[in-house]
Amino acid sequence: MRSFPFFGAVVIVAATAWSAVMPTRAEDPLRIPVLVPITGFLSLEGTSQKNGAELALVGSKVAFSVEDTATSPEIAINAFERAADAGGVVAVVAPMLGTQMLALVPLADEFELPLVTVSGTAKITDLGSPNVFRFFPGDVVVKEAQARYAVEELGAKRPAIVYQTTAYGQSGRAELQDNLLALDAPPVFEEGLDVSVKDLLPVLTKVRDSGADALLLHLHSGPTALAVRQAKALGLDMPIIAGSAMHQPETAALLAPAELGGVCAETGSSPVSETSEEVRTFVDAYRRAFDREPDAFALGQYDGTKMVLAAIAAGARTPADVRTYLQTARHDGLAMTYMSDGTGNMAHSAVIICYDGEDRVPDIVKRYGNLTGVL
Amino acid sequence: MLIAQLLLNALALGAAYALVAIGFVLVLNATTAVNFAHGESVVAGGFAAVALALFLPDGIALPGLILLPGVLALSAILGLAIGALAYLPIRDRPPVSVFVTTIAVGIIIANGLNATFGAAPRTAPPLVGTGGFELAGAVLSRQSLAIIATAVALLGGLAFLLQRTQLGRRFRACSQDPEMARALGIRVTRMTLAGFMIGTALAGAAGLLLAHQFFVTPADGAILILKAYIAVVIGGWGSLRGAAAGALLIALFEVGVAALASQPVAEGALYVAVLLILLFRPQGLFGETQQVRA
Repeated sequence: MRSFPFFGAVVIVAATAWSAVMPTRAEDPLRIPVLVPITGFLSLEGTSQKNGAELALVGSKVAFSVEDTATSPEIAINAFERAADAGGVVAVVAPMLGTQMLALVPLADEFELPLVTVSGTAKITDLGSPNVFRFFPGDVVVKEAQARYAVEELGAKRPAIVYQTTAYGQSGRAELQDNLLALDAPPVFEEGLDVSVKDLLPVLTKVRDSGADALLLHLHSGPTALAVRQAKALGLDMPIIAGSAMHQPETAALLAPAELGGVCAETGSSPVSETSEEVRTFVDAYRRAFDREPDAFALGQYDGTKMVLAAIAAGARTPADVRTYLQTARHDGLAMTYMSDGTGNMAHSAVIICYDGEDRVPDIVKRYGNLTGVL
Repeated sequence: MLIAQLLLNALALGAAYALVAIGFVLVLNATTAVNFAHGESVVAGGFAAVALALFLPDGIALPGLILLPGVLALSAILGLAIGALAYLPIRDRPPVSVFVTTIAVGIIIANGLNATFGAAPRTAPPLVGTGGFELAGAVLSRQSLAIIATAVALLGGLAFLLQRTQLGRRFRACSQDPEMARALGIRVTRMTLAGFMIGTALAGAAGLLLAHQFFVTPADGAILILKAYIAVVIGGWGSLRGAAAGALLIALFEVGVAALASQPVAEGALYVAVLLILLFRPQGLFGETQQVRA
């Protein structure tokens, strides 16, 4: 009697494997589900991700649908399973929330579906999965740029680090620490902040009293703006080099241009700062479609989705075809050139932006290309 | 002089938290059930200020104070809706039912704000203007002073309402013994809805006070309800004075202990303090010892 469940399991596994290698049925349109967190604490970034994917897919022959993954892994898993059940799925735009990605990677491996994301969580590409493709530079890349700019360009010798105590914050802090040590500028002060903290005056006074000569932030959007505002009010006389949250137009909108003066930040790209015609076209289309300013997450997801469409244009008809293309091809996107490092990290460049105190549109002051040496 | 700045910041934060916690207790006393949509009511007040600010002319003086009556009114209407939709239909069911309905209403408010305003942090106008002034070597923030003054004025008004008016006496009678109040001809349902309206109006005012200095996002409600809950546990379940004291204690830990040690240490120390209070004074700092009526 025990052989029946075993037989059933074999049939299910075989059917799943068969469906993954077989071309999709002729009547099924090719499909790319967009699973992103558009509610909850990551909804600002998740909405950017959704918009980027949507802008790439609208007008293509590929069908797509958007599902909200909110903030829990369970919702993401349910959304993925529903999406994967539909015919014709060749890839999935996967949520940028690291905990959701960590839950989805085993499922993606089981269904053999490539996940295209802008999640910054380092671990998702360390799991050995062939199905994860990250189109936003990870902390290994952007934190090197942030540390190098502080030390090599601004001459910092005694930096301070203020970071979020979330997984996102801890990951960035570790990379910053390693890079600063390698640059012979060990941090003289470090403190983590919970996302619920309102008043940053205590930590900023300790930064001032520590003798630090530069402040490196790795915080979410609201806390970044709060830190900049309170640092200015305190008269903190040192350069501030923030994390990628600072590049988001919504973060800058919280502050007066004068408060932003002299503040710099790392990011994968800054679409509103670029002057190339292609990026300007993207920015204009984005503004028309969504009535807001694009950020690096939107552009990264746009580029990633475009690379999947390029795979389809090159003849890919199955998830396996798309995966092979993403693993081996080189793609010139709007933000940068993408190519897998063998673990699914596709983005290898970063930029530093600075605000001049006159308006809320930053200038790109330094580009760090191909920091991993993959390209 | 830094101590003066830190103390002022702690008092301002504590004053705003006190409005949140006292609003929470008012609903608790009116219903004996926890309103888990209270955090989202604070957030809604912040966004009401953001929306109403669009109608203010540029460069107007005291922008936040001008908006305050509008925010109080809109928040009171929201409180009425929460009470009418999430409490009254199930008031005879076990309290856990109210937990679920208010949680659901909170999610609806948060997602509604997200759909309307977007997920980005927003900032409301300052109460009386930005910047600060120097006093005996300390730079004192205008906004912090205005938050304290506004919260004190609102709480003073609440104390007058509860202690000196017929509405307040009826409200307190319903909180203490609804059956007896009903027998005396007091319309308990109206008083319950009044509790929702006043409590939510205070929450909305706190949203306005917090939304300039600390910004507001649709997802902030969960953090704020947690602070209100802790304040009430510290101060004593159902005690208005206790809620205010608990809120001030939370702010002192967040600012004072964080300045002396670190923010994670301050957070840990706050929860240790809560545990000690629960251990040695389970009724809270201002709570009365529970006795079973014979």
